[in-house]
Amino acid sequence: MSAAKHTPMRVATDVGGTFTDLVFYRMAADSGQVNGQAGSQISELGTCKVDTTPPDFATGVMQALVKAGLAPADFAFFAHGTTVVINALTERKGVKTALITTRGFRDVLEIARGNRPDLFNFNFQKPKPFVERYLRAELAERINYKGELEQPVDLAPLPEMLEFFRAEGVAAIAVCLLHAYINPENERRAAARLRDLAPDISVLASHEISREWREYERSNTTVLSAYIHPIARSYLESLQGRLAAAGCRHSPYIMQSNGGISTIKRAIANPISMVESGPASGIYAAAHLGRIIGEQNLIVLDIGGTTAKCALIENGEIRISTDYQIEKDKKSPGYPIQTPVTEIVEIGNGGGSIAWIDEGKKLHVGPQSAGAAPGPAAYGKGGTRPTTTDANLALGRIDQGSFVGGEVQPDMAALEKAFKPLMDTLGMNLAELARGAIRIANFNMCNALRLVSTNKGYDPREFCLIAFGGGGALHAVALAEELKVPKVIVPVNSAVFSAWGMLLTDLRRDYVQTRPLRLGAENLEQIKAGYRALEEQAARDFAADEIEAAGEAAGDTPGDAVKSELVLEHYADMRYAGQEHTVKVGLAFNAGELDLPRAMDAFHAAHEHRFTYRLDAAIEIVNFHLVARRPVAKPEPAKKPQTGRPLAETILHTRQVDFDQHGVHEATIYNGLALEPGMILTGPAVVQEPATTLVISPGHHLQVDDYGNYHVHLERA
Amino acid sequence: MNTDPFTTEIIKDSIVALGDEMFNAMLRTSMSPIIYETTDFAVGATDARGNLLAQGNGVAGFLATLDTAVQSLFDHYQADEIAADDVFITNSPYEGGGTHLSDVVILVPVFFEEKLIAWTVNKAHWTEVGGAQPGSISTSATEIYQEGLHFRFLKLYDKGCINRALHDMIRDNVRLPDSTLGDMHAGVAAARVGAKRLLELVEKYGAAQVLAAMEALLDYGETMTRIELAKLPQGVFEAEDIIESDGLGNGPFSIRVKVSIMDEKMVIDFTGTAAQAPGPINVSASGLVTATRCVFKCITNPEIPANGGCFRAMEVICPPGTLFSAVSPAPVSLYYETDVAAMELVWKALAPALPERLPAGHYRSVSGTFISGLHPDSGELFVMGEPLAGGWGAAPGRDGDSGQFCALNGETFNIPTELFESRYGVQVEQYALHNANGGAGEFLGGKGVVIDYRITAEEAHLTYGATRGESRPWGMDGGEDGSHNYALVQRADGSEERYNMCTTVAVKKGELIRIYTGTGGGYGDPKKRPPEQVAKDVKNGYLTAAQAARHFGVG
Repeated sequence: MSAAKHTPMRVATDVGGTFTDLVFYRMAADSGQVNGQAGSQISELGTCKVDTTPPDFATGVMQALVKAGLAPADFAFFAHGTTVVINALTERKGVKTALITTRGFRDVLEIARGNRPDLFNFNFQKPKPFVERYLRAELAERINYKGELEQPVDLAPLPEMLEFFRAEGVAAIAVCLLHAYINPENERRAAARLRDLAPDISVLASHEISREWREYERSNTTVLSAYIHPIARSYLESLQGRLAAAGCRHSPYIMQSNGGISTIKRAIANPISMVESGPASGIYAAAHLGRIIGEQNLIVLDIGGTTAKCALIENGEIRISTDYQIEKDKKSPGYPIQTPVTEIVEIGNGGGSIAWIDEGKKLHVGPQSAGAAPGPAAYGKGGTRPTTTDANLALGRIDQGSFVGGEVQPDMAALEKAFKPLMDTLGMNLAELARGAIRIANFNMCNALRLVSTNKGYDPREFCLIAFGGGGALHAVALAEELKVPKVIVPVNSAVFSAWGMLLTDLRRDYVQTRPLRLGAENLEQIKAGYRALEEQAARDFAADEIEAAGEAAGDTPGDAVKSELVLEHYADMRYAGQEHTVKVGLAFNAGELDLPRAMDAFHAAHEHRFTYRLDAAIEIVNFHLVARRPVAKPEPAKKPQTGRPLAETILHTRQVDFDQHGVHEATIYNGLALEPGMILTGPAVVQEPATTLVISPGHHLQVDDYGNYHVHLERA
Repeated sequence: MNTDPFTTEIIKDSIVALGDEMFNAMLRTSMSPIIYETTDFAVGATDARGNLLAQGNGVAGFLATLDTAVQSLFDHYQADEIAADDVFITNSPYEGGGTHLSDVVILVPVFFEEKLIAWTVNKAHWTEVGGAQPGSISTSATEIYQEGLHFRFLKLYDKGCINRALHDMIRDNVRLPDSTLGDMHAGVAAARVGAKRLLELVEKYGAAQVLAAMEALLDYGETMTRIELAKLPQGVFEAEDIIESDGLGNGPFSIRVKVSIMDEKMVIDFTGTAAQAPGPINVSASGLVTATRCVFKCITNPEIPANGGCFRAMEVICPPGTLFSAVSPAPVSLYYETDVAAMELVWKALAPALPERLPAGHYRSVSGTFISGLHPDSGELFVMGEPLAGGWGAAPGRDGDSGQFCALNGETFNIPTELFESRYGVQVEQYALHNANGGAGEFLGGKGVVIDYRITAEEAHLTYGATRGESRPWGMDGGEDGSHNYALVQRADGSEERYNMCTTVAVKKGELIRIYTGTGGGYGDPKKRPPEQVAKDVKNGYLTAAQAARHFGVG
């Protein structure tokens, strides 16, 4: 114990709506430098789960540390992800916010884009803006689209404006002026004056949040970031303070929506960047695992209690986009958030999704969910409506004896009672109906997987499906069959995979700058200068991190994330001149030089891949995109020990399992914890772990790799 | 063969999903801003006889334009004249699928083992189809011949071979051939994506089961619709309204409807509507069916995806040769203004009986605004065209929505000012809600929008057309009427011109075009609006103090 006590630790916590997850490992003495390659010795990953503790979320984090017996003084690295931001937005628990914009444009926030996705609903109402009209003020000023200052901002009205805002109880102000993405001069002056006049009020300027055009999207993003700013600040400061009081010598790093981590100071300055931190780390973990096991093309599926999330990784790269919305669905445009977010498709289909029948006798699954309470009917906690989990139980796909890790004896009577009204309506028995529910749930998830793959020009046959989250393994093989994906991977620790991802992420900043420019020799110097400016900005920002870290460490070594070299990746959002939609293309810079013909070829190829054709037309860069990363040391996953035990010893029993279109079979049930690297087994089979059930239909082969990950090779149907 | 009902369900849902897939394909491959920004297009599939199976719409106004196109195709071809890998093209306004010449339909028959099993179809607004005016839209045409190229169900591909003569004919008769041919190929590609997916379904589940699922899908649409129809109040409901002008100075034109809701069906009779007009505001019969279908869908079941079964209980009556059922050679390029009026007319008849489904009148106009000129930086021709958002009517319990596109539009997006200014020789000086008088009520009509375009090109030309320049959106149950749609041109000398419809009005550098869209009708007696709410409206600037005093008796 005492020896371990001085081993530096790397710790990640993920605060979810229901649970706070903790993942940690101890580093060997020599693993301070960046690696991820062979050579470092990593002891086994530890995990721990406690209840989330609203409204004081830091309490849950500290409880998790205590439960796991960790001493914050040993932490070399502490990463933190949180749903606090997204929850504050969806529950409308932010502060009273005002907006200051260019004269003539205060209603942009209310008009939004004017669209009505719910075409035939003449009672359609747009989502309400987060700032009421009387708190939307205007300043006389103008920058034109070329970034030229046409009219300097008149700051004279600000004191009176502030007085009014104060009287109205405003706690945050967003400033978004036209064309500030290309020239923030007026905006910067207005924000500076406001901060002088009102240091107690949160002031966020749009150019600090986004450097992209589209004034509605940028305004809304700035407003939402301001709206949650005071809450995010007090939450993060409280966490930082309590960790420090417990002896932690480093500030926590905060998980961002772009799949990277940031310093706490930067997260406070732009809290909207935390909006989708949970899914981002899961996808990042999938990419990292892919690199380790040599699978660079992955379709990612994360099935939780209420939703399923899908993403695509090509050549080990995660797709990042700033075209992101919250509360968007087929009937509502939601609210755009112009911040770099890992591209995901999320649908209301998880283990708790409810099966129901409409007036036309059509069976649906989701998007309503039984949630954690009452949960599926079989939990016996008062759930009266059947869920996907109940259907899996009814078909023998989930073992009654090890339901919820064996902690819950499923209430099969409640389950049957929940299905009964549906069975009566459709005149079916339980198995038929449960099979239908599973099939429809799978159909919904399949469509979501198609949205990230086939609909974007990718052939699923060239990908592996990596599935995690509570329900991923239950459905993955059936989905892979439908999509014709040749292999399914279910990682070890798949239930805490997202938190594990946070231990792997780098310090990362995405710089996206709108600056429309023809891609041609005549503009080459401007293009290079554009990227150079972003690189210089990145160098300045990361240098500031180091100073911050050094200052807080007060003589001790700084957190190891700030010691490594900066890694730069150059991208451009490009299009054919005259088009609207852009394609993101990676650019290869060599010692500051850009190979123009190669960049053009890359665009033509990417366009054809995505949109099926190429044109003999001029190419335009719309956005310069620089990714700057400072890599952190990554844990090498531990190899699973081999004792040479025969496969037969890992068999728990056999039971009847319904494999839908493959029929009902006597399936072999394996104890996943006992399976060893190199073992191969064949379906019909089910592999059970306390938090994971992997269903393998007849004919497919499962292989366990060195780390204990499952690889299911699909037989071609 | 697996014949359980869930397989049928999944095939049905797959057919519906195919509409979304074709929609994305079209969006991604088109070349015209009006397709990829305004999403002025629709994609879908029908069964072999032209019954609509699934449709992906960007705008509501294409709801009856895909299936009726297939149905009319059979007037031109015998069954043995239709073969695999044929592609048909039509933009005929007077037959099935017709709206105006700019909207072009592509039809692809889907064959399995030499049997016609389905069609995939799309319709999209091409920026240019030739004719007298750039963009093929004007307020001044007197015959269809001035409005562009006219294709009546021609074979664009014959058994996989492109019709070279037709292709070159299009290329040489439009102003933007690259864009026009690009849109044509996008349409063909999207239809083929759908055909391929349909055949995959047939290969997986077998033709018999897929055809059975198509029938089941139509029946499901019918069942869900009839359940809702039965809940509607029975009776006869009438409404009348006007279209002010045809663009040539004729008018006003009277429009009428009588809606009969019965046990088993709803009959919508437009008899009594004025004869077709000399100017280009005429709507053809299939445009009228679209308009009525939209309202029918709204009041029965707006939730489920549209298919032909949803409309089996709906019947439309209108004698030929009216403003709503124009025949050749009536000009139709501004058909959309009249189509949205037809839609709103049915809604106006039913709103008093269905106030929970249908609000008071909205600004009833696409307000299509076109500005062209030479870009001051590049010297290249720019043609800006955009619809404008406006005010919707109030309903019991809520104010109307402000700044939303009209009922004929839908998934239509405004162009951000920051993009707009970089693309066109125009600076936008204001994009705001206005508070013109109108829409007072216990619940307020939604606010219309005012947009100021300052011309930065040496000279630009404005084409604009809207109704409700003289009449106003109707209020309900004591709520006041809304306000007008119109355009102003403010000249350098300080003079001002007002237009409801105009074609290529010259505007000089530094002069201003200001366009208003109407505020929607109010609902209920304004005096019933609580004074504290009125005070809040004044604080928010939705009402002036004078309006609060005059219309609401507050202050």
